[in-house]
Amino acid sequence: MNLGNLDSLTFFYPELILLGGILLVVISDISLKGLRDRVNPLLTLAALLLALFYTLQTDHGSAMTLFEGMLALDNFALFFKAFMLVAGVLVLLGSLHSEELAAVHQGEFHALLLAVTLGMLLMANSAHLVMLYLSLELVSLTSYIMVGYLRSDRLSNEASMKYILFGAVSTGAMLYGFSLLYGMTGSLDLFAIRDALLAQEVVGFNQVTLMLVVVLTTAGFGFKTAAVPFHFWCPDVYTGAPTPVTAFLSVAPKAAGFAILVRFFLGGLSQPAGEQWGFISGIDWPLVLIVVSVLTMSLGNIAALTQNNLKRMLAYSSIAHAGYILMGAVLLTGTGLKAMLVYLFVYLFMNLGAFFVVTVIFNSEKTFELQDYNGMFRRSPFLAVAMSIFLLSLIGIPPFAGFLGKLYIFGAVIDQGLYWFAVVGALNAAVAAFYYMRIMKHMILENDDRPPTPLQISPLNRALLVLLLVPNILLIVFWSPIDRWTANSITLFGGL
Amino acid sequence: MTLQFANVLVFLGVGALFIFVNLLIASLIRPSKYSEEKLIPYECGENPVGSPWIKFNIRFYVFALIFIIFDVEVAFLLPWAVVFKELGWIAFIEGLIFIAILVVGLAYVWAKGDLQWVRPEERYE
Amino acid sequence: MIELKYYLLISAFLFSLGVFGVLTRRNAVNVLMGVELILNSANLNLVAFSRYSSSGIDGQMFAVFVIVVAAAEVAVALAIILTLYRVLSTVNLDRADVLKR
Repeated sequence: MNLGNLDSLTFFYPELILLGGILLVVISDISLKGLRDRVNPLLTLAALLLALFYTLQTDHGSAMTLFEGMLALDNFALFFKAFMLVAGVLVLLGSLHSEELAAVHQGEFHALLLAVTLGMLLMANSAHLVMLYLSLELVSLTSYIMVGYLRSDRLSNEASMKYILFGAVSTGAMLYGFSLLYGMTGSLDLFAIRDALLAQEVVGFNQVTLMLVVVLTTAGFGFKTAAVPFHFWCPDVYTGAPTPVTAFLSVAPKAAGFAILVRFFLGGLSQPAGEQWGFISGIDWPLVLIVVSVLTMSLGNIAALTQNNLKRMLAYSSIAHAGYILMGAVLLTGTGLKAMLVYLFVYLFMNLGAFFVVTVIFNSEKTFELQDYNGMFRRSPFLAVAMSIFLLSLIGIPPFAGFLGKLYIFGAVIDQGLYWFAVVGALNAAVAAFYYMRIMKHMILENDDRPPTPLQISPLNRALLVLLLVPNILLIVFWSPIDRWTANSITLFGGL
Repeated sequence: MTLQFANVLVFLGVGALFIFVNLLIASLIRPSKYSEEKLIPYECGENPVGSPWIKFNIRFYVFALIFIIFDVEVAFLLPWAVVFKELGWIAFIEGLIFIAILVVGLAYVWAKGDLQWVRPEERYE
Repeated sequence: MIELKYYLLISAFLFSLGVFGVLTRRNAVNVLMGVELILNSANLNLVAFSRYSSSGIDGQMFAVFVIVVAAAEVAVALAIILTLYRVLSTVNLDRADVLKR
């Protein structure tokens, strides 16, 4: 079903609410001089929660496209929309009591957070190359500014500069790929492109051009997901950005990148063939992405081993996790896709949690260095235990949620008979355990000579930590709703 | 096909000739008397003051940037205006919403003091 | 009538030139110029394909969007370069190396 412009508006409430929220935050920022620091976070939170409410309420029956085929509304998009909004809420709450951001005026920060969330919502929906490009740029441009938000801080500025130069080049290359695809198929609509490719009614169709298109567009998506040949910006940017922004970048735009990657490659360049998808031309594109996935997780994990700055270590760890998530996407099966969604869902809570502990410790200690974490257990047992749970979850140790993600991913891989791929993944998880354990060792076992002064945590931060801990502990028990939800969410418009 | 490009080549040739022949004739018939006055850069009859290689005020850049952004947004209004009559009231309201969003941006810039040559408060710490 | 392939050749040339500029220049502003070349090569492709195919003006519409986004991107990039200049007093990318430890 294709809806026209006005009919689409009823399915477009979340985006409209976010847009209204952005405008209201800007207006309140310039008009309410005294109250704005209190009103802006509340406005932002209200907009995010309201959008989340409408997203969960959306009852669309079957998959359809909105706005004359610009956006696809399907369960897959709804999963990611809910995901982005939850991430937005958590990061907003995490940024409220952050000393890094407290040093500067935060009005623009809230508007930018809403804008980047809006962009990610649109990214998950895009079914048209123009929307794909515009939403990607909306997310990128706002995150460049968020990274450089600490204007007088040298690291923040440098990170922002690196991010924008890398980002501009990769999206430029992606755009060139889009233009070639348009030339070959004569259409910008993903489904029309697939039909044209399937019918082989393509002008100048050949394997080399299509391969070029795949490589160029992978540059754009790889940049967003920080997959290996396009990951160079990632450690620097994550180290330089304010920690709440780093936490956000390592989860939400990465997930949006995967959403768009799946939609482009599965929705646009593959055809459903039973339980599996076949890639349209004879090129072994999945093999290329399998190699990318293996490289991504291995390089991320090995580079993380030698880091002493906690933010940088977690940056490399998030590169490695992108590799695991990619494992699910490249299988081209429903099970693989579902595993990817489960992994993303648990990754949201464990990674945000780990970064949030780093934020809280920075608030009072002003350091990201690993040796300054010594004796943290004696100073704040709660914080040390929380961090340990997040880290164990990131490793994938059974009682915690991360295990669920790894279980689904490796299960899907073994399901396809790619045993070597699963073995590589498991070896990587073992390597990763080493550096995560190292953080725990510093926090719990090593003590320095200083007397243990108790660490101050604000009540809001403590509550948020508990909020993040709950899914990490309980998801393993209540996994069946997640299983149902993700199984429901793999319906792509024009696909499975 | 090739012949059409021949036309272009002829144009290029004639254009080049036009410049060089004129300069040649001018250099043959003009009197050649140099003086100090003639060697200074031409600035509409005034004597230049100071070096031309000065640093421009950074405020020029801010104004140019704000102008560029609002100027480029008008690119969206042009296709809108072309089909305006066929689409009727809905298009009009859509255009108004688009402009209203831009006005919020303009109000933001104004309130932050970026439309004045000297900003009320320097916010860069 | 000029054939499509000439447009494609020029756009491929522009793209390569842009990538070359990005890879070789050390001044942030020059790198940005290279990025502009890349974006405009894609624009040239889009407009040429749109003109030479029977698919309507989709490509030209895309090009308008790209132009607008490119302007926004340059605005953000220049602002970031400016704040970096305030901190570092240079826009040479080799000097922006505190993060490489």
